[in-house]
Amino acid sequence: MEPDAQLVQQCVRGNGPAWEELVRRHTRRVFNLCYRFTGNPTEAEDLSQEVFLRIYRTLASYRSSQGAFPTWLTSVTRNLLVDHYRRTRRDRLTDSLEDAMPKLEEKHSAARTPDRLAQASELSAQLQRALARLSPELREAVILRDLQGLEYNEVQAVLQVPEGTVKSRINRGRIELARILDEIGVRPD
Amino acid sequence: MDWNCTLTEERLSEHLEGSLSHGERAAFAGHIASCVRCRQLVANVGGLVNQIRQLAWIEEPPQLAPKILDATLGPRVSKRGWEWWVDRISVLWQPRFAMGVATAAASVVIIFHTAGLTPTKLKKADLSPSNIFRAANRQAHLTYARGAKFVNDLRVVYEIQSRLQPEASPAVNPIQKPAPQDQSEPTLRSPEQKSQTEPRPGRSQVRSGSMLAFVVTNMFTRSLT
Repeated sequence: MEPDAQLVQQCVRGNGPAWEELVRRHTRRVFNLCYRFTGNPTEAEDLSQEVFLRIYRTLASYRSSQGAFPTWLTSVTRNLLVDHYRRTRRDRLTDSLEDAMPKLEEKHSAARTPDRLAQASELSAQLQRALARLSPELREAVILRDLQGLEYNEVQAVLQVPEGTVKSRINRGRIELARILDEIGVRPD
Repeated sequence: MDWNCTLTEERLSEHLEGSLSHGERAAFAGHIASCVRCRQLVANVGGLVNQIRQLAWIEEPPQLAPKILDATLGPRVSKRGWEWWVDRISVLWQPRFAMGVATAAASVVIIFHTAGLTPTKLKKADLSPSNIFRAANRQAHLTYARGAKFVNDLRVVYEIQSRLQPEASPAVNPIQKPAPQDQSEPTLRSPEQKSQTEPRPGRSQVRSGSMLAFVVTNMFTRSLT
């Protein structure tokens, strides 16, 4: 049995340290998914908390036979992100997404020396700006495949759409992202 | 296979993932070789995918995990004052750590003792390698000499040696037996003469005697315990 599945079993039996371990193992994954989708670190932090609260309440419903725990966790996160997106659609129509987006990477790059790290950080910030201009369907597909590193079948399990749709969204998302980056003057090597 | 720009766009990710069939791959390559726009597109998207896959994950805020744990498990009591310190130094009470410290301390004591150093009277010159070697050499000889003296001074060793002596002497050097005519000579002799006529047992003899005595003592002690 996978370590995550064992931890989940212990959590269901009321083992606090097991839950703590599970949270520490997956906080970064959830936070990154939320941050890449919303582009806002404060929102991403709040959403990550919400995700784990939901996971904590529904942990008993997880079955390892249905798939790996990270896929299930990603699926819960994505559903919550979609809810959040729908809930905040009206607010976004009045505010520009880019204006509302605090520059997490810029904060990081200022603290580090100008080397490869800073370059990567710069690219990360530009990518974030480009992601914000993608449609939510394409954005989540690219994030799950290329930033979260999920396999096609895992993306399919998370998005609950046919395989052909997954492939098409990922492909169109990548092409669109490259076009936006080209527009803002970023040309990947 | 007939390939065009629309197909190149549609199958671009499959090309990047390496999931095109052999024929499709050849047609794809043939098309981008002749179409500048598609070649540029493939280069851009390929480069982008490579780069974003290499991006490290952003670190979550440090307070996030504790917040989640507080919200799910309830606020945990933060330890203060002496409790915090007791928690921190509890590692010192672990047997493995204590054994490690004890071993290190014993090693230091042995090294200092062997090198003949006294920590309270330690001088800078004492720490030079030649001085340490000299002191250690001296200490080793002294220890050996003390040990040999200790063994020789044991009553049981003395008794064993004295019993062994009469039997061992003729066997060791029968030629040195005093001649019959010497018996008429005065018994009083100077130390020099004595040393010439009755040579002291060799060092190897003493050592073997000591060793034998040591072994017997050991056996005797063991039988007592």
